[in-house]
Amino acid sequence: MKDIFINEWRGFVRNQLFFVLSILFTGSLAVVTYLGIVQNKTQIEIHHDAHRHIRSQWDEMKPTNPHGAAHFGSYAFKPNTVLNGIDEGITSVTGNVLRLEGHAQNDLVYSEASQSLLISRFGKLKPALLFQFIIPLFLIFLAFNTYTKERESGRIKLLLSQGTSLQKILLAKILSVWMIGVLLLLFAIFIQIIFNNQGINAETFLRLFTLSLSYALYYLIITTLTVLLSVQFSSSSASLTFAIAVWVLWTIFLPKIAGNAVEQLSPLPTRVEFKKAMETDRSKGIDGHNPSGDREKELEKTTLAKYKVDSLSQLPINFDGLVMQADEEYGNSVWDKHFGQLYEQLLSQKRNYQLSGIINPFASLQNLSMGSAGTDMIHHLDFLKQAELYRRAFIKILNDKHAYGGSKTGEWEWKADNDFFRSVKDFEYSTTSFANLWTKYLIDIVVLAFWVILLFTLILYSSKRVSLL
Amino acid sequence: MIHLQNIQKTFKGHKALDDLSLEVKAGEIYGLLGANGAGKSTTLNLILGFLNPDHGTISVGINFEKSNKSSKNIGYIPENVNLYPYLSGLENLDYFCKLADLKYSKSELSAFLTECGLQQDSHDKSLSEYSKGMRQKVGIAIAYAKKAKIYLLDEPASGLDPLASNELTELLKKLASQGASILMASHDIFRVRESCHRIGILKNGKLIKEMNAGDVTSNELEGIYLNFMQN
Repeated sequence: MKDIFINEWRGFVRNQLFFVLSILFTGSLAVVTYLGIVQNKTQIEIHHDAHRHIRSQWDEMKPTNPHGAAHFGSYAFKPNTVLNGIDEGITSVTGNVLRLEGHAQNDLVYSEASQSLLISRFGKLKPALLFQFIIPLFLIFLAFNTYTKERESGRIKLLLSQGTSLQKILLAKILSVWMIGVLLLLFAIFIQIIFNNQGINAETFLRLFTLSLSYALYYLIITTLTVLLSVQFSSSSASLTFAIAVWVLWTIFLPKIAGNAVEQLSPLPTRVEFKKAMETDRSKGIDGHNPSGDREKELEKTTLAKYKVDSLSQLPINFDGLVMQADEEYGNSVWDKHFGQLYEQLLSQKRNYQLSGIINPFASLQNLSMGSAGTDMIHHLDFLKQAELYRRAFIKILNDKHAYGGSKTGEWEWKADNDFFRSVKDFEYSTTSFANLWTKYLIDIVVLAFWVILLFTLILYSSKRVSLL
Repeated sequence: MIHLQNIQKTFKGHKALDDLSLEVKAGEIYGLLGANGAGKSTTLNLILGFLNPDHGTISVGINFEKSNKSSKNIGYIPENVNLYPYLSGLENLDYFCKLADLKYSKSELSAFLTECGLQQDSHDKSLSEYSKGMRQKVGIAIAYAKKAKIYLLDEPASGLDPLASNELTELLKKLASQGASILMASHDIFRVRESCHRIGILKNGKLIKEMNAGDVTSNELEGIYLNFMQN
């Protein structure tokens, strides 16, 4: 098998068209990967600058009423991962800056897609675009006639009469073409490691390993399938046509069909519906029970009883702060209910889409690519959760200051000093370790492995059944 | 030794071979004559294991079973030797030898090519620069380098000039003298008469005539052949 593999590679290397195309691909990949790294670094620096600016505004805040500061709010920045330069996933659509303030849970803003005029159907030119669309196409063009050219020329009989088996010939041909895809992949990873001076730690290595493994498995699938078609079809043109049709189906049609299907299975409310339901629950009480006016009266009663006084003016604390925190906590439970449902729906959509990998391994590849780059829905929801937890702690600190900082009920002009604001910790998000998330991607790996096993079984079966003449 | 017993092979209702029995002894060259579609190539494909007979038995060599499709004991020369155009003649020979688990030095490989009539100065040239005859000689060298006990030749002289054809005849005789069994399918009555010890004529899948080559002249063989083909 080694000799067949070497001979195939000799054929590639001595083919001028292959040589030119390889140079073109390698050059494009190098440029795109490098630009992705530079672009990512720039975005990270812009985020850092904006983050520093926002924090310095907070730190330099003059004595202010804590509730006023809660409305002034802060921002949570979703940091770009190192591998965002390879696959930016849904980040360009979801945005990466979240405004944090009292009374409200906001949406992410400043998505690149909302500001760009260059939104193409395939997304931005990132290495993932080449990895997912172009390299598989290149592999198809290299593999579509690997068997048919041997049969059409009659050389297959001469090869087999030398004592080698058809299985060995086919496996060697698959591996020789697959290796080209893997080398292009490793080349891009190598550039990523060399030029990314932000530090490639164990976490990034784990993510890079998963990313490489995913693409390597997908390339094995696409190569094996193309060689299988070459074995099954009587002519090279027929096998090429079918292979291209599968490529189009997998990369363009099936993802859209699967996307629509999962939306039908787990429909999401519109943004307007979602906000309106939250506002209704917040003002009228969850499911119409316990409206806000009743809640406030109940709180007043228990607080007066706790401090053994008859009126709010006799309280040693500022009751307004308690009301705001109670309202906040009620709002949190409303958010938990609605966002919890939304979260489950989104995860359900994600799971169903992952299952579509059984008919379309490209879906599994996309999931793993975005997942290992830290730019998919699972990572996005994790950021939203952590940002919301911070927002709650942040607002509670401000409300507590308003209530217990020394002011009395109704003293809206009371101000906390700058030291207090400086003492409030900033939001620092670190992407959740991939080791803690990998079980969410297990199905994608299993599906890709399933496709590899299925296609290898089919090719071994075909090699025993196919007509050699 | 090649032994075919009552072989029958049908393609979509058409009998390609009908109760074919023949034997090629060790040290013998057997020429199989016949028109296009007579069943010559089908016979070779059955022996090579590329086809399975509907009926009958095939035994090749002493310990070699037909069911073992990947035979290293058979040297095969197809009518059109299609090798790898990006390799030289020497590299092609080296590659095909490696597939048969044969390791030869460059000088040994070169000697095989020379022995099969390919000039030394063309050994390292790319096959894309070869004529059909030159490619055929590399094909012959591939079979020859196997030092097999069985040789199957399908129109081996196709594309060869008279001198090269004559050299091929001499090479086959040399192999036979070393104990090889050679079955050669051909249209070339003269070459078959010159090369073979025994001759069989196939028509519509049936072996209709067998004779010793020494018992007939080329002209007589042509007359016999044409007579069978026209009736």
